[in-house]
Amino acid sequence: MSLRQRLVPYGLLGPGLLWLVVFFVVPMYFMGELALRSGSLTSGYTFDWAWSNFPDSLSGHTEQIGRSFLFAGTATILALLIAYPLAYAIAFRAGRYRSLLLFAVIAPFFTTYLIRTIAWKTILSDSSPLVSVLQTLALVPPDGRVLATSGAVIAGLTYNFLPFMVLPLYANLERLDLRLVEAAKDLYSSSRQAFVRVTLPLTMPGIVAGVLLTFIPAFGDYINAQILGGTQQAMVGNVIQSLYLNQRNYPEAAALSFLMMALILVVVSVYIRFAGTGAFMGSEGEED
Amino acid sequence: MRDQGSRKDARPLAVAVAVAIVALALGLSACGGGTVGGGNDEEVTTAKAGDVAGALTISTWPGYVDPGKNGTVAEFEKKTGVKVDYIEDVNENEAFFGKLQPQLEQGQSGGRSIFVVTDWMAKQMYDLGYLQEIDHNDLPTVFENLLPTLQSPSFDPERKFSVPWQSGMGGIWVDTAKAPGIRSVNDLFDPKYKGKVTMLGELRETVPLVMLAEGVDPVEATNEDWLNAVDRIGKAAESGQIRRFTGNDYTEDLTAGNIVAAIGWSGDASLIENPNAEWRMPTQGCSLWSDNMVIPVGAPNTAAALGWMDFAYQPEVAVDVTEYVEYISPVEGVQDILRERGSELAESELTFPSAEFTRNCTDQDSPPDLEPVNEAWQAVITG
Repeated sequence: MSLRQRLVPYGLLGPGLLWLVVFFVVPMYFMGELALRSGSLTSGYTFDWAWSNFPDSLSGHTEQIGRSFLFAGTATILALLIAYPLAYAIAFRAGRYRSLLLFAVIAPFFTTYLIRTIAWKTILSDSSPLVSVLQTLALVPPDGRVLATSGAVIAGLTYNFLPFMVLPLYANLERLDLRLVEAAKDLYSSSRQAFVRVTLPLTMPGIVAGVLLTFIPAFGDYINAQILGGTQQAMVGNVIQSLYLNQRNYPEAAALSFLMMALILVVVSVYIRFAGTGAFMGSEGEED
Repeated sequence: MRDQGSRKDARPLAVAVAVAIVALALGLSACGGGTVGGGNDEEVTTAKAGDVAGALTISTWPGYVDPGKNGTVAEFEKKTGVKVDYIEDVNENEAFFGKLQPQLEQGQSGGRSIFVVTDWMAKQMYDLGYLQEIDHNDLPTVFENLLPTLQSPSFDPERKFSVPWQSGMGGIWVDTAKAPGIRSVNDLFDPKYKGKVTMLGELRETVPLVMLAEGVDPVEATNEDWLNAVDRIGKAAESGQIRRFTGNDYTEDLTAGNIVAAIGWSGDASLIENPNAEWRMPTQGCSLWSDNMVIPVGAPNTAAALGWMDFAYQPEVAVDVTEYVEYISPVEGVQDILRERGSELAESELTFPSAEFTRNCTDQDSPPDLEPVNEAWQAVITG
């Protein structure tokens, strides 16, 4: 094979690689280098292999890290419970309204994330009609509130990341070969059995993709906690923001960001190993 | 088979690509390396005066001047031909500084010629070498009309690098229909108002007010006093007494009726749509501060920046600003013009506070040893 032929794949990879280098490798390098500096804003931060930044950045912040897992995890589960029936209905029951419904799922993206979150602040405010209804139904105590609680933050995360769950699920369900479900029923399975044994396993790639696309950004999110949360609801994103902008402890902020990336990477790898299907291991194409 | 073959052949190439990436990353890092922080080492310069023309970019707080077609900015543009880019991107001193610090460190101002920041932040920027000095001869109108009380503040006794834009007071906003009894910062800790109270996230605003309420003079306060006050606020946050820590957005919670009281600023009436909201001087005193115009290092067109400062200090211009923003004007003669215009603001203690009104108030100060206090404070805010 000529050299030229061998170079073709790399040429094709070029734009993608360049993108990764400029927007991923280089920033990561700078962040890693920053995480190993020590000093203060007035004396300057100098590079001296300050590994202690890593344990230091965790101390006092374990509560917020745990909270981030709890909030993002709950939001992901809620989003899955809402998105699956929704995607299923759009894929199989919507008929000619399918595009319209899909559009409705995507429509909120036409407004910025921040504005949508701030809108929830109004919807959930203490004297809003929604909150009085919840109070009448005794879902919220009479003198209770929704805004500035953990519930509001989780609801905000669920709402904001729901489309990321719906779309991969829909893409997956839409491709589902309904003849397989029919075959299951021909073999005397109930609808429930057919769903559990045929539909659900076949849509696992969509579920895995949706869970990842929801959980990862929700874990690092700080907007929802800042706008919809109150005291005692800060997530790890808020801590990093505070370290960077308010305490200007750049090294610890960088170290904490790195640790969170590593933590997410580990959690996600474990998740894909156990829940995952071939889709993420590159074996999906072999079925064809 | 063919596939496998090509993969084997490609291995050295893959290594070569990886090496190239690393080399590129290292090469790029060399351009931006060096120290981070530590202040700008170049010598302090004095802002250059000259023809007032060209373009001018100002960074300031929201709602701090009338940006409309007939507003103060438009008037300046018409008079001088300068094209003003007026950006309201200062929401919090800390966050604004955090965003621009890396550029200031390199001697760049992010294209801005004027920042409007609070006293202590102006001082912090100056100490790090991020500001240019100002020659009083270039600002005749400013120094003719600057109120005597503002001429030598402790953070900049000779007004070498700062020119006040507006001053204000930190105190308590109360929804008088729901909590008529709140008059002291101590009342904000009353369990009666649990979850219905907010405080500002600015360390130098909230903590001194709490210290005053406890009878501690913030000017004399030791680090321990600061930490004690932070601790008291932290416990109130943990118990759910304090609903949340805010920036200027406490005005939204007051408007929506989510809270009965907030620590907030005296000039924000126009941002609060709640007829029962009233700013109250805390029984034990308020905090007093000014937001200052400063000229950063690397600022383009300092001549226009100086021109804007001098323009804003004409009493006829300053009076328009006061009518729009309702804060305390640093310009002499504004009150007389307002009286002539028959404006209520002329007699308001919020726009023209008497010495008697502010007798217990304190200048905004930093703790003696900032780092541990700020760390404790941030731990409370992101609790």
